[in-house]
Amino acid sequence: MSIGELLSVYGEKYLQGLLTTWELTIFSFIGAMIIGVIITVFRVCPIKPLRLFGEFYVQIFRNIPGAALLILLVYALPELDLILSYHSCVLTATTLIPASFCSEYLMSGINAIGIGQIEAARSIGMTFPLMMRKIVIPQAVRFSILPMTNLLIATMLTTSLASQVPLSPTDLTGVVSYINTRSVGGVTSFLISAFFYCITAVVIGQLGNLLDKKVRILR
Amino acid sequence: MNTYTRTVRDALYEEPGKKAKKQIAVATAISLVAIAVFIFFIAKAFYDNGQFDAKYWSFFTKYTTWRFIANGLVGTLEAAFLAGLMAFIIGMIFMIGRICNYKILNRIATVLIEFTRGVPTLLFIYFFFLIVPQLGINLPSIFRISIPVAISACGVVAEVLRSGVNAVPKGQKEAALSLGMTESKTFTKIIFPQAIHQVIPALIAEIVIVVKDTTFAYVINFPDLMQNAKVLISNYDALLSVYLVVAVIYIIINYILNKISVAIARRTQTSPVITR
Amino acid sequence: MSENTVIELKHIDKHYGNLHVLKDVNLSIKKGEVVVIIGPSGSGKSTLCRTINRLEGIDSGEVLIEGEKLPDSGKELAKLRSRIGMVFQSFNLFAHKTILENVTIGPVEVLHMNKTEAEKEAMELLKRVGVASQANKVPAQLSGGQQQRVAIARSLAMHPIAMLFDEPTSALDPEMINEVLNVMTELAREGMTMVIVSHEMNFARRVADRVVFMADGELIEENTPEEFFEHPKTQRAKDFLDSIKK
Repeated sequence: MSIGELLSVYGEKYLQGLLTTWELTIFSFIGAMIIGVIITVFRVCPIKPLRLFGEFYVQIFRNIPGAALLILLVYALPELDLILSYHSCVLTATTLIPASFCSEYLMSGINAIGIGQIEAARSIGMTFPLMMRKIVIPQAVRFSILPMTNLLIATMLTTSLASQVPLSPTDLTGVVSYINTRSVGGVTSFLISAFFYCITAVVIGQLGNLLDKKVRILR
Repeated sequence: MNTYTRTVRDALYEEPGKKAKKQIAVATAISLVAIAVFIFFIAKAFYDNGQFDAKYWSFFTKYTTWRFIANGLVGTLEAAFLAGLMAFIIGMIFMIGRICNYKILNRIATVLIEFTRGVPTLLFIYFFFLIVPQLGINLPSIFRISIPVAISACGVVAEVLRSGVNAVPKGQKEAALSLGMTESKTFTKIIFPQAIHQVIPALIAEIVIVVKDTTFAYVINFPDLMQNAKVLISNYDALLSVYLVVAVIYIIINYILNKISVAIARRTQTSPVITR
Repeated sequence: MSENTVIELKHIDKHYGNLHVLKDVNLSIKKGEVVVIIGPSGSGKSTLCRTINRLEGIDSGEVLIEGEKLPDSGKELAKLRSRIGMVFQSFNLFAHKTILENVTIGPVEVLHMNKTEAEKEAMELLKRVGVASQANKVPAQLSGGQQQRVAIARSLAMHPIAMLFDEPTSALDPEMINEVLNVMTELAREGMTMVIVSHEMNFARRVADRVVFMADGELIEENTPEEFFEHPKTQRAKDFLDSIKK
């Protein structure tokens, strides 16, 4: 099919697909940040069992393939009498996995600060909360901007898992599968979705770079 | 003088005093109880739904079950190996395009790299599964999974290789050229070997992504671990246990790969890599 | 304990696992006194310095600051720390703050001083250590010697009753060592109470009121610099002095 045909017949599908991908990406990313921060707090806290729990979480979700997790959520959870909607299953998978990476990035951000500055903060009489607020968190956040940008893009790529379950409207990847199982969409039908993904990734990347330049810490 | 190295994580907190020690002990106890309750509820859900029943687990004691899983694993590894190899070759070509002296090639390589990095693997898979056959090309199924996985990985590989090349000190090139080596010989004999040494951890981390992406092989019916799991499930009518075991196998493989990557990174004093 | 004792260490013991790093160390430092701690590496001198403001905890013994027992955690500990300056081997300036902010962050955040006042005072301190012209740069833009002088200003801004120097010149290039030592000499002359862990023997000879020699976690010998360097009493001190003379 030509691009004109595709857009006139499936234009709305693509648009809905784009919006679904964006929506999944944004919600997953926000969820991943929240869970990632909590897991990171667990991992740095002085309470051993919580530390271990945090490590365990990260190792599981860093290493599980997205497809395997999604299948567990969609097919295995109902065996335990826990039935989530397809949409919730996708959102859960695309949140839990990036959350583990979020925590890894935050950990490396914290490690990048160095013990010296923490000791210096302490030795001028900063209490723990003050030190976290003025020294640790501001620097960890700045170190994390580029990694978080990459994480946002990775999260977007992960949301293509949505194409593996019947969703309506489906996401950008699902649209391509939808069109080509019904008619001969051709290379163009793929390129339209690919273009939307790429343009989103490029915009996210540029914004991240801009933000990073503004707040980068000289070392 | 500190005789053992502390990480920032440890330095965040004071060495606990008496009061703090007591507080930590209490918090430890509470968190242990919370985790125990959490595990209890999971176990209870399994128990209430009969998931501990022998019929869901007994076939894991059979040799045939594991042979079947092993066959699937071989399929996974074949696809991953082929994809990894292709990703490396294409990535290499992209990288050379990116750093060579021709502006147009630089541009093309940059666009291609960004393209492969910005499009999800699944979309590439659908391209090779649904669209390529429309063009009258019929690929064997292993290629239908390993080519898209490779394409999806090659952009990252190119960037990783490039970062390695950039990390080789300029003096190396100058020294080689001053010995009378040609540009290409300098690259292949001096620059590249050092570059590759730098980025081995990152390349191993990329293999993890490749392994993960091959799980989509079920889309095109290629018999990998995930696909064989489906057969087991229909044979024994045991869905949860099989998928759980398969997920654990994937986690263990990737965990080991990541550990190797970190260990090498530590030994070569390059920074460990976090991917996706 | 006399009235003007600022820091007193009593029977300090500390282990790292099986390693006994501080063995029953007793030391008291009077107001205005400059004490230089020397000894071979691994002798526990840095650890000792760091126990004074409890960057290192201790297993047993007591640290007294102006006769008051050093609390082992919480706000009280932070408060006492704010009164003792500390200068580190690796400067440890806050990388995300400008030079000026590095000096004002303590007074503003910990002592709740008014910001303009803190800045005015900080500028004077920076002038005093000779880096006022760098006030709006960030730490990474300064040389090591400059960074260390800023670190000293950062400590001084807290109006400390005493200052700890943990090998302040060990990470510096030779040509920068003197600019830091000069600032320290100046401080000593003005009557600052100082505890200095250092390898700079000439500096110790010139500036110290007392030299403390440590080895294997023990305080082996203390004396005036003249006596210590000319007539060391113990064999270990003699060996150490010989080894650094080459």
